Amino acid sequence: MTPEFPRGPRDRSFIKRFVVIALIVSVTGALLAAVLTSGRDPIVLLNIFTIRFLGIFIEAAPFLLLGAFASGLIDAFVRPDDIARLMPKNPVLATFAGAGLGFFFPVCECGVVPVVRRLYGKGLPMSVGVAFLLAAPVINPIVLVATYVAYGFGPVLIGRFVLTFAVAVAVGLVFMAAARPRDVLRPTSLSRLSLAAPRGGMDSATPADVVAVAKVAPPRRTLKDGFRSAVFTAIDDFFDMGRYLVIGTVLAATMQTFISQETLTQLGSGPIGSVLVLQLVAFVLSVCSTVDAFISLAFVNTFTPGAIIAFLVFGPMVDIKALLMYSGVFRLRVVLYLFLLPMLLVMLAAIWINLNIPL
Amino acid sequence: MDSLSLPKNDLFGQMDADAAFRKQRTMALARAFVLLGLGAYFAWNIVSGSLANYINASFAWLSYVASGLFLLMGAFALLRARAMKPSANGLEDLLQGNSYRAPVSWGVIALVAVPLLLGTLIPSRPLGAEAVTGIDMSAVQGASSGSVTTFTIAPLNRNVLDWLRVFNATTDYAALNGEPADVIGFVYVEPDMAETQFMVARFTVSCCVADSNAIGVPVHWGAEDVAALPQGQWVRVTGTMQVESFRGDDMPVLQASAVELIEAPSNPYLFP
Repeated sequence: MTPEFPRGPRDRSFIKRFVVIALIVSVTGALLAAVLTSGRDPIVLLNIFTIRFLGIFIEAAPFLLLGAFASGLIDAFVRPDDIARLMPKNPVLATFAGAGLGFFFPVCECGVVPVVRRLYGKGLPMSVGVAFLLAAPVINPIVLVATYVAYGFGPVLIGRFVLTFAVAVAVGLVFMAAARPRDVLRPTSLSRLSLAAPRGGMDSATPADVVAVAKVAPPRRTLKDGFRSAVFTAIDDFFDMGRYLVIGTVLAATMQTFISQETLTQLGSGPIGSVLVLQLVAFVLSVCSTVDAFISLAFVNTFTPGAIIAFLVFGPMVDIKALLMYSGVFRLRVVLYLFLLPMLLVMLAAIWINLNIPL
Repeated sequence: MDSLSLPKNDLFGQMDADAAFRKQRTMALARAFVLLGLGAYFAWNIVSGSLANYINASFAWLSYVASGLFLLMGAFALLRARAMKPSANGLEDLLQGNSYRAPVSWGVIALVAVPLLLGTLIPSRPLGAEAVTGIDMSAVQGASSGSVTTFTIAPLNRNVLDWLRVFNATTDYAALNGEPADVIGFVYVEPDMAETQFMVARFTVSCCVADSNAIGVPVHWGAEDVAALPQGQWVRVTGTMQVESFRGDDMPVLQASAVELIEAPSNPYLFP
């Protein structure tokens, strides 16, 4: 009996490897070029880079771990029919509920990706997963407290939560229109989904297969057994997602070492320019959604309120390291949508706020 | 993500199954050691105090959590790796495990080990003068919400950040003339400063060094003494405030009566 492997991932491993090597070579090349042309001492630059790299990693890793454990616990204790029961039957309502799901699964943008992938494996509709993915980093108790501490109850807190919810639902609804798993997920993510199915899903998995999984929900695990399995899942997820965190952190630290925050901030003061600049800063900085409210305090006096809100809404949805993580789960075309749609929606909303609401 | 690269020929030959098994177990052990290493590294950061070089102290609890979780995961991973054995069901069990396994490769393990390598091989230091890309006097205005309380801090107890908040909260700089000051920071000199002037500078860190901002209080001192100060040297400056021209603007400048060379403090950053 030949064990059945999903063919997709193995056929694509060459392309994947090529992309990874190309990325590493180009980053290394860009780094070398930047070091050599800057006229500064390479040892000093390496030191600054290392401090910034470790700063971001040390601050982000705990959230990645918590996310991985949340993912493991969800995998161990949440059965597909639990989610199905939690979710309204109406797909539009379910997408709204997905955007609010973060209050029950508190994860930041480092941690949300493995959770979403697990939930897809449990049969979550694509649109609900996308709404959750974009909303959960902000719509959760930890970030609510952090934003409250930084800004109090006011326009920034309200703007951040309302706009995040609206954008997440809007993008989720776009995915409802074209939401076959194989159009959305990478073959490797898809294969996990079909491996969980009774024999035969594989590359040709259709939504019907996913429903079939939900129908054969295993019995609830014992606490001890479930915890063991949750830790094992967390280990696997940490390595799966950790590499994107490391690559993203390398990029963010590289840019920070060579582009000063000052140069970026000088660029934006108008109602439109400031929004664009802070969206770019949020994208480059890649800081975690639980602490970005405090960072944005540094911009309060120099930037428009709309730009601050854009920073706090767009950053948690899309940044360098999140994009790299998304690309581990979703197809490239979908990653592009997940980048462009929030960027444009947040940009328009923030500019509208600047032009129409005196804050 | 080259998942589970199996020997291509004779999938079920005993030798190849053994080789695949050994590779899997070596990788599982490597992952366990990376996790244990990261747990130890996070714990060491806390114990040695070098954590203060990277993040705001109020987020230190995150590193406690991370260290504990890393060590827990490492212990589980080690037990799992040691318990691995070629099972009676052969490769299928090995590959699919109890549910499904994340694909593992040496590349992934190496990437996740990068922070561990950088953290242990490169000596831990705080950001210094060479990382300053320009000191923006307005950078602290966002934090001026604390200015009401800042005035209640006795002048001698104010640090660099407190002084800048006081500067930002007042328009009448002359009112500060004669106030005594005692601050520490690193020396920062730029060509456009007068030769009798330098800045005593600090980095502020909101959450981690990724959002660090350089801030500084201008200091007036003897020209020859200023020329002798190495850029980035940590100093303790005592003196009184007096309005004078600094980089073309009239503002309070600390008239130093003494500049003492000191070691870098254990908490190199200020937390706004």
